[in-house]
Amino acid sequence: MFKVYIMGGQEVRALDGVDLDVFPGEYAAIMGPSGSGKSTLMHMIGCLNVPTSGSYKLDGIEVADMDEVELAHIRNQKIGFVFQGFNLLSRTTALENVMLPMVYGKVKDMEERATRALERVGLGDRLNHNPNELSGGQQQRVAIARAIATSPKLLLADEPTGNLSSMQSEEIMQIFRELNDEGSTIVMVTHEPDIAHHCKRVLTLRDGRMVDDELVTTRLDPKVEIARMTAEQNAPRAARVTPVSGVPA
Amino acid sequence: MNLLLYFGLAMRGLTANKMRTALTMLGIVIGVAVVILVVAIGEGASKSVTDSINSLGTNQLTIRPGRPTLRITAAAASGTAQALVVANRLNMADSNLIQKDFPTTIAALAPQARATVQISMGDKDANTSVMGTSPEYLYVNNATMRSGTMFSAYQNAGSVKVCVVGSTVVKEMDGSADSDMTGQAIMINHNRFTVLGVLTPKGAGAFGQDQDDVILIPIQTALRRVLNTQVLNLITVRCTTPGMMSLAQEQIASLLRNRHHIPPPYPQNDDFQITNQTEILERQQSVTGTMTTLLSAVAVISLIVGGIGIMNIMLVSVTERTREIGIRKAVGATPRDILSQFLIESALISFAGGVVGVLIGIVGTMALSSIAGWETVVDPLAAAVALIVSASVGIFFGLYPAQKAAALNPIDALSYE
Repeated sequence: MFKVYIMGGQEVRALDGVDLDVFPGEYAAIMGPSGSGKSTLMHMIGCLNVPTSGSYKLDGIEVADMDEVELAHIRNQKIGFVFQGFNLLSRTTALENVMLPMVYGKVKDMEERATRALERVGLGDRLNHNPNELSGGQQQRVAIARAIATSPKLLLADEPTGNLSSMQSEEIMQIFRELNDEGSTIVMVTHEPDIAHHCKRVLTLRDGRMVDDELVTTRLDPKVEIARMTAEQNAPRAARVTPVSGVPA
Repeated sequence: MNLLLYFGLAMRGLTANKMRTALTMLGIVIGVAVVILVVAIGEGASKSVTDSINSLGTNQLTIRPGRPTLRITAAAASGTAQALVVANRLNMADSNLIQKDFPTTIAALAPQARATVQISMGDKDANTSVMGTSPEYLYVNNATMRSGTMFSAYQNAGSVKVCVVGSTVVKEMDGSADSDMTGQAIMINHNRFTVLGVLTPKGAGAFGQDQDDVILIPIQTALRRVLNTQVLNLITVRCTTPGMMSLAQEQIASLLRNRHHIPPPYPQNDDFQITNQTEILERQQSVTGTMTTLLSAVAVISLIVGGIGIMNIMLVSVTERTREIGIRKAVGATPRDILSQFLIESALISFAGGVVGVLIGIVGTMALSSIAGWETVVDPLAAAVALIVSASVGIFFGLYPAQKAAALNPIDALSYE
């Protein structure tokens, strides 16, 4: 797959012959420094853009030469997006946000499916909250619910934990882990090695080329990480308390 | 995606920023209200002219004496020019000749001699216009009797002291405009007249005069007993058909020129004027129509300005909501979906503005009618057209911003800050 931009009269090869297969049930992370082309690759995989040359098949369908309307339908039917900045509609309830793709997809039982998706990410009691009434972690979970409500072939996450605390990040990873265990195919862009090591496979891009593709042998388990962080949060408090009580009168 | 949902989206977009929506609407509101108001005033004016035309006689010509003229005649013998001031007159002989000579073109005529006189009845008195005329007056001037009868040709010829009164006179003499004064006596210039009947009210004339403040008496009675003159103020003529009017005008003119010994050139030297009142009123009506068209054009311009306001705000709105557009596109909204959403939003603004404008226009029209006393007619067609035009303005001026929104690249839109 190639993607060439012309910037200031100069040819920029954002993607320079990337060859990649992602199989159903995979959980892959794409890593690389900024400017390596990972965002561009993400846009291609997410059908937000088409390659300059080369081929991209999603679920057996050639996407490379689709027009804007066909791409919109593909995004609607086969892809679920989770963004770094959550990208929820403000002044719109969680439920309505999750229903948004189904509104455009003319899904019949969208309210029921949206409710189920929100329950799935643990927000069954926040259906009618607006995004500004939710924490960052909760907002990202609404975004995940929106992505999975249409039962997409591929769940794409672009720096999903970039705006979240470590604890919230692990909670998101926990949800991704469960979704993958249930059979969802997930591709995630991240530059945090800790996050990437929750995946089964890590791809590394540099200057528009794939330079590394390895299976993760020592996967991190979000449950273990959450337990560790909870312990760490409690521990310093205990450590701080001790000297105070130990001060001699 | 169905229309109802687009409407929901548009409503949400509009209610999110109520103040801005209201201000944007204002341009359209003013435009539409002005259209309704102007058309209502125009229609009202035109209706009152039409009513005046209808209250005139059909196929009616009026003959009036001209201004006194200075006529220069060259005296052949002395070779000096002689200046002569001629007081122009129409008299009963003129009237009778016109009536007799042109039976094919003229159906009837009514000579009229009028003056303002004092009348009294019991302890009440008033000044009113007394008009001596012939019984044909009713037919020539499309007048009818509300009660009683018109005086007859015999009474007319015999200088009998009878009269027919207008409703304003009835009101002044008897307190109520509706009472029947038939059989009562009324004093006109110290002469005792018997009231034969009351005229059907005609209302205000084309120039605002009260057409019911009048007493009709036989022309001979008027000339001999009341006015003491031989001069007529006016002869109204009813032609046989509308097509005969210009021929009748020619015939009367040449007869009068002959009788009054008027040298050419015509019509500069004429000592009379023949006018077609209907024509004058029709001209007045076309002037009213032109004014209405002109003011409507101004209102349409204000609608266009309002539309540009909508376009402006929609462009700002599209820029502001770039991220929202990006999100919608990312989850599968087609360019068409986005286009429809913004287009319906601008159409809704202008349509709602149109509705408010129509209401304000109607209220304003009623207020104007009651305050200024102008006759107005709210035209349902104008209201409907104003509504359709205002919605079209919204669609027309919303199209460019909506297309801009629809054409946004989702990647750029999502990364827009």
